[in-house]
Amino acid sequence: MNLDPGFIWTALRSLLQAVPTTLAITAVSSLCGLLLGTVTALLRIYRVPLLGQASSAYVTFIRGTPMLTHLLLIYFGLPLLIDGPLAGAGLPVRSAMIPMIGFAYIAFSITAGAYLSEVVRAGIQAVDRGQMEAGLAVGMTTGQALRRIVLPQAMAASVPNLSNSVIGMLHASSLAFTVSVVDINAQAQIVASTNWRYFEAYLAAAILYWGMTLALERLAALVERRISLYNRGGVSS
Amino acid sequence: MIKLSGIRKKYGHHEVLQGIDATVQKGEVVAILGPSGSGKTTLLRCVNFLERPNEGELTIGDFTIQCKRARKQDIYTLRRKTAMVFQQYNLFRHKTALENVMEGLLVVQKMPRDQARERSAQLLDKVGLGKKLDAYPSALSGGQQQRVGIARALAGNPEVILFDEPTSALDPELVGEVLAVIRTIAREGITMMIVTHEMSFAQDVATQVLFMDEGVVVERGTPREMFSDPKEERTRRFLKRIAPEPIYHI
Repeated sequence: MNLDPGFIWTALRSLLQAVPTTLAITAVSSLCGLLLGTVTALLRIYRVPLLGQASSAYVTFIRGTPMLTHLLLIYFGLPLLIDGPLAGAGLPVRSAMIPMIGFAYIAFSITAGAYLSEVVRAGIQAVDRGQMEAGLAVGMTTGQALRRIVLPQAMAASVPNLSNSVIGMLHASSLAFTVSVVDINAQAQIVASTNWRYFEAYLAAAILYWGMTLALERLAALVERRISLYNRGGVSS
Repeated sequence: MIKLSGIRKKYGHHEVLQGIDATVQKGEVVAILGPSGSGKTTLLRCVNFLERPNEGELTIGDFTIQCKRARKQDIYTLRRKTAMVFQQYNLFRHKTALENVMEGLLVVQKMPRDQARERSAQLLDKVGLGKKLDAYPSALSGGQQQRVGIARALAGNPEVILFDEPTSALDPELVGEVLAVIRTIAREGITMMIVTHEMSFAQDVATQVLFMDEGVVVERGTPREMFSDPKEERTRRFLKRIAPEPIYHI
């Protein structure tokens, strides 16, 4: 069997319809993960009783288990966890109503949250203590100083690591096919098996992922240039 | 008026401040001198609770706080009455000079943006940086950064400004411009407490000098008393070591 270069193009066009799904999983899990990661990072840094320990346990457990396992645990565990209480509360809502992609959103947000928690923690700790002190000294509350002074600088310092994690989530979102979500990889499988052209289809998927990764890298570089202007002796325009 | 009584601070078993009393009248400039490790910076940081004193009582204007029982709200109230100028400037790195001065006005005093901008620009002009409003700290020299720090401290109309070795991190040729600004605002009657190693500056600007060593105030007095005729042996030794020897021509 010979390589059919023309089919790569055919497959590529067919894969485009799955791009929104892959992007949605990446975006939702990265954004929810960032929120979750920021909260857990703060809980750990400030050693909040109980919640701080719980956050540490969450981070070590999630980072210590594969992402596919998280997806399967959520897929099979969530119904067990919520259907009983929902029925007990007399609500007409059941886990069966969650679309398949919903399980991917939830599971991957949890995964991303643990990894991003470490990224954000490193970012916060990279900000000089004097910044917080200066905020407090002008009369801000700890919360205000965190929101307005420390976190913006921590996020700016984290951009390279954040973009790494987002790229990781983009690639790992292909695991969603295990719960029958049709993302780029699943679409490639469909195209491949209906046409008996596996290599070409997966090559097309690879090219597509690579292109999206390059775009993300460019975006990250742009964001980094924009928000760390202050580090390079800039003048605001 | 600012009154400190019986301020104590411990780190583990080491008592860094062993019961400090001091009174600062409105408009006074108090210079705090002493060897490193004497507790002078800790004392200053206790006044705005960046370090929490273990014991003692602190009064600023009409507000008194019992250090042991201070609640969060008390500490925020206290901090709104004080301002601090740091040794390492600690300007908000992601904000321009103008935004650095505005930040407290916007967030803490809830001043309307236009008004905050106008006041901040005026203050920066006053410290000689009217042309650097939009520069980020990384684009400013140490002396310029510290002058922004002083403008930021002035912005909130504090009852006292705390200076923590404001010129110690500066290149020698930049010390003068910062001291000149501090001298100007001292003449305007703003109450200040300054931890410094600049003896001639302290002698010139201060109305009261505290000499600290090993967590206690060893001696206090007017600059004239302290510099020309110190009573305590420890003060004398310290001043002798710091003050340059006169130059003899043979």
